[in-house]
Amino acid sequence: MITAETNPIAIKKKGNRSLEISWEDGHVSLYSFRYLRQNCSCAGCVEEWTGKKVLDKDVIPLDLLGLKAATTGNYALSFSFSDHHDTGIYHFDHLREICPCVICKE
Amino acid sequence: MADKIDEKSILSVLGQVNDPSLKKDIVSLGYVQNLKIDGSRVTFTLALPTPLFPSKEKMREDSERVLSVVPGVTEVEISMKTEIRMEQNARGVSGVKHIIAVGSGKGGVGKSTVAVNLAAVFSEYGAKVGMVDGDIYGPSLPIMMGAKNAELSQNERGIIPIEAHGMKFMSMGLLSKGSAPLIWRGPMAHKAVQESLLRVDWGEIDYLIVDMPPGTGDVHLTLVQTVPVTGAVIVTTPQDVGMTISLKTFRMFEQTKVPVLGMIENMSAYLCPHCGKQDDIFGAGTVATEAQRLRVPYLGSIPLNRKIREYADQGVPLILADPMTAAVYVDIADKLATEIYVRNYNKRTLIIEEEPEETAESFAV
Repeated sequence: MITAETNPIAIKKKGNRSLEISWEDGHVSLYSFRYLRQNCSCAGCVEEWTGKKVLDKDVIPLDLLGLKAATTGNYALSFSFSDHHDTGIYHFDHLREICPCVICKE
Repeated sequence: MADKIDEKSILSVLGQVNDPSLKKDIVSLGYVQNLKIDGSRVTFTLALPTPLFPSKEKMREDSERVLSVVPGVTEVEISMKTEIRMEQNARGVSGVKHIIAVGSGKGGVGKSTVAVNLAAVFSEYGAKVGMVDGDIYGPSLPIMMGAKNAELSQNERGIIPIEAHGMKFMSMGLLSKGSAPLIWRGPMAHKAVQESLLRVDWGEIDYLIVDMPPGTGDVHLTLVQTVPVTGAVIVTTPQDVGMTISLKTFRMFEQTKVPVLGMIENMSAYLCPHCGKQDDIFGAGTVATEAQRLRVPYLGSIPLNRKIREYADQGVPLILADPMTAAVYVDIADKLATEIYVRNYNKRTLIIEEEPEETAESFAV
């Protein structure tokens, strides 16, 4: 469903460190590329059948950069990270779900 | 001497005429072009946003009416042309303005026949149309377009699509002749669809119609991940609705944020060739009800008519062979084109802005 909550109206790549998404409902999410990399849901990072996380979050270097950000169709974003990982497709629903802000984390 | 008329005053008067679907005036929408004033004679072109454009006569009459009261104007001549606007998010397939996926829940509902006939109506009414056979496992476009022996060739810009009945099309079916099966593993299917879309030298296309394979699979994912799809049309039979299979297709488009432009009820009733009586063999009206429940536009119903099948087998689109019978398709194509341009107008462009890094920011890591 396209709801205001998961409909991005503006996406900003701020240098190589962070990404900002403004949603239709007025909320703004700010992600570090490291955080996005840690939450990659591609088949290499999350086990496809069980949904179990294979990726160890702590192995992602602290200075990880986001080199490229692109839209995938109408429904997701994809990134190229400085560790050469680029297979994740980040569904807008998923991106909203993992918003790291204090309000959403509660 | 009569009042002097100038371009500015004519445009401000025409600014009272609205596009009924968008509720915006035709001047700010850019429909008024080539405005010429020659003494007391005013001529201009109305650039219509869809090939058929149901409101064109109303806009013409309204324009003539508002101009008729302008002092000094004695003659008004309005010509019309179609100028289909670019899909706002379009990147991906160069030269292509809109990509429309025609899908169905299950096979055998007449999806390809509907796709070809809609495409032919668009083309007949002046749009530049391309078709992609997304049904890579059971490609049927070569037969329906009457070009099953056509050979694909290439130039330096890519594969040259086959031209038939004024439309261009690309089908993997052209690579395997006759009864040789097309057996694709997932990754191959992905590649085949990508090549059919991206490696083709389409030239200029207003509507690129993708005939999808039935159901929800590799091809759908590839399509939505490869290019921004303007929207999807779901073809179902009343029976299919009962089985809720088309609902799965609907949910898939929904999940991948492809707007569903509408549902079409195919084989809604059987038209007896002898007595002309209509028999609702699968039950009728169920698709309209379903569309209403899902809040998607209901585009219309197409009866089970022997002629539609016969012309499809002969490879001649219905609009060319039998315009009377094709009236139902004209009506559906009209609604579809309107849906596309209204949505496109209201849509925001999604782009990723690049900004320099801000310093001294803290993140939740």
